[in-house]
Amino acid sequence: MSAITSPARQASSGISARTINRIVIYGLLALFALFYLMPLFVMLVTSFKTMDEIQNGNMLSLPQSPTIAPWFKAWGETCVGLTCAGIKGYFWNSIKMVVPAVLISTLLGALNGYVLTKWRFRGHTLVFAMMLFACFIPFQSVLLPMATILGSIGRFGATLQNATGFNFGLGNSTVNLVFVHVVYGLGFTTLFFRNYYEAFPTELIKAAQVDGASFFQIFRRIMLPNSMPIFVVTVIYQFTNIWNDFLFASAYAGTGDVMPMTVALNNVVNTSTGVVEYNVNMAAAMIAALPTLIVYVVAGRYFVRGLMAGAVKG
Amino acid sequence: MAFLEIDGLKKRFGNVEILKGINVELEKGGFLVLVGPSGCGKSTLLNTIAGLETITDGEIRVDGRAINDLHPSKRDIAMVFQSYALYPNMTVAGNIAFGMEMRGVPAAERQAAIDKVAKILQIGHLLQRKPSQLSGGQRQRVAMGRALVRDPKLFLFDEPLSNLDAKLRVDMRIEIKRLHATTGTTIVYVTHDQIEAMTLATKIAVMRDGEVQQFGTPAEVYNNPTNVFVADFMGSPAMNLIPAKIGANGSGLSVVLDREARQPITLSLPGAPAGLAAFKDKQVIFGVRPEALTDPEGAERNGSEIATADCHIEVVEPAGSDTFAVTNLGGKGVVARLRADARIQPGTSTPLAFNLSKAVFFDPATEKRIL
Repeated sequence: MSAITSPARQASSGISARTINRIVIYGLLALFALFYLMPLFVMLVTSFKTMDEIQNGNMLSLPQSPTIAPWFKAWGETCVGLTCAGIKGYFWNSIKMVVPAVLISTLLGALNGYVLTKWRFRGHTLVFAMMLFACFIPFQSVLLPMATILGSIGRFGATLQNATGFNFGLGNSTVNLVFVHVVYGLGFTTLFFRNYYEAFPTELIKAAQVDGASFFQIFRRIMLPNSMPIFVVTVIYQFTNIWNDFLFASAYAGTGDVMPMTVALNNVVNTSTGVVEYNVNMAAAMIAALPTLIVYVVAGRYFVRGLMAGAVKG
Repeated sequence: MAFLEIDGLKKRFGNVEILKGINVELEKGGFLVLVGPSGCGKSTLLNTIAGLETITDGEIRVDGRAINDLHPSKRDIAMVFQSYALYPNMTVAGNIAFGMEMRGVPAAERQAAIDKVAKILQIGHLLQRKPSQLSGGQRQRVAMGRALVRDPKLFLFDEPLSNLDAKLRVDMRIEIKRLHATTGTTIVYVTHDQIEAMTLATKIAVMRDGEVQQFGTPAEVYNNPTNVFVADFMGSPAMNLIPAKIGANGSGLSVVLDREARQPITLSLPGAPAGLAAFKDKQVIFGVRPEALTDPEGAERNGSEIATADCHIEVVEPAGSDTFAVTNLGGKGVVARLRADARIQPGTSTPLAFNLSKAVFFDPATEKRIL
């Protein structure tokens, strides 16, 4: 038990303890990852199986004779309610709604953040506090008032239709959903951009003013090009939220050809024509999940970088 | 009529008055330095000239034209910021040309102007780089290039050298001075560094608490400070401000400096300012710069009022080019500036020469200069 031998002993026992720690940690992480990925795995393998195999085989087994027919059927033939033309139309409905909603809410959020940090006015903190409050309003509480507003807008659109022969998109379900998502998303996008621009050097704006740039020129030429990280964060956040939204979609565009993907998927699964085609349902669900997956894969590294931005002053 | 005139300028934030009536003017081609401790309002004053801050009262005129209500871009000014404020998403060339682009200058003209400025500042090889790929000194040059390229009536510099390391700061200071000499531009320059102020300025405005304490040439400000604050702020090491008493010396006056456990030093003042007579037998602040308090061999040969007195040296600081010795007079540490090779030991007494023609006196109550 001398002082000379003890450091060596500590070192050797330390290494083995560290190794055990690693094994336990990684083992647990692997277990949780497996648990978390299991539904995705089942969905994927099921979507490539034939109905026979699904009915007679194991849920976890790999497809014996892989087929991509369920994917084609989900895309082009499966029945959504009474129409049997696949989910492709609804997929495009969602795209047509999500892309403008994301872009408009993100740009408006950036503009709000720009004004709230660089063109401060009396009461700007109150305005920001109220916009923040918008982040905490539950979806359900705005359903009815929003329906009333959309109804008024629709009637106004009809009046325009009668008067000018064109309704300017007012009353159109997709336009309605874009409007709802832009309004609901503004609180979040403003919060993101406002916090990002708070740390943005004000001297740049002053320099641009001296250089003769106008309010919007500064926004377009100085602010936006230097907002890539937060822009990507906001786009991912908004894209995921709006694409996955079911409540607003089912409330304001819940029937007919105007349904977005989420509502259509629900109808695919609920439409029974005898046998439940699990493989087609799974394929349809996978197709519905793909766009958000792609957005994460393409822009994910910016997402993490953007979330970290501002945490440490560079 | 001066080129830049600032007339009774006031700036208020709520109830707080940041600038309390500033009056300053500058001739064409002049170099005005606004100097003062942080929070004195010098940057705010510069921002009001630039138009980045509104003013509460007063007028700013450039070349006879009031500009205080014009948008920054309409004032024909260029500004160099403390952080350089280079647009990170644009190349150096893009940064320099941005102002011209906003003003709709044709591309060919812009290119010619960029090339000309790049040549003056020797940044031709950097034009296609982004600001993040530049060193501090290079960024500083680009920031100056962005101002120079516009050929404005007035250049504003907001502490442009404070982010550079000490050596580079000296180099860039010389470069700014050379630039001013060769281009003949009119410059307003903000700094808290009194050496920058002394070396660069043709006119200095020393500011404190939103007021100009003294406005004059560097020599005036240095040699004839109007109050204790200016005397203390300008010069490094700072002026020795020694509590002293005025005594009578025959028909003339003398200054009496107390010493710890020793006879006070009495120096007769043949060239005392007229106002000093009223302070006979009263306390004053006796101001003498370190270079006016030196070893007798190093004192000015032709100085008319050299008085020598033995002083007890407490600390000796050899600084290479000079040796600074600290003694104690009137209860305060007093710095004397000796020749580098002065043989002097701490703890001994040595004769020091007071150059009284350079000495100044202040009223301890008002802190104003006694003239």
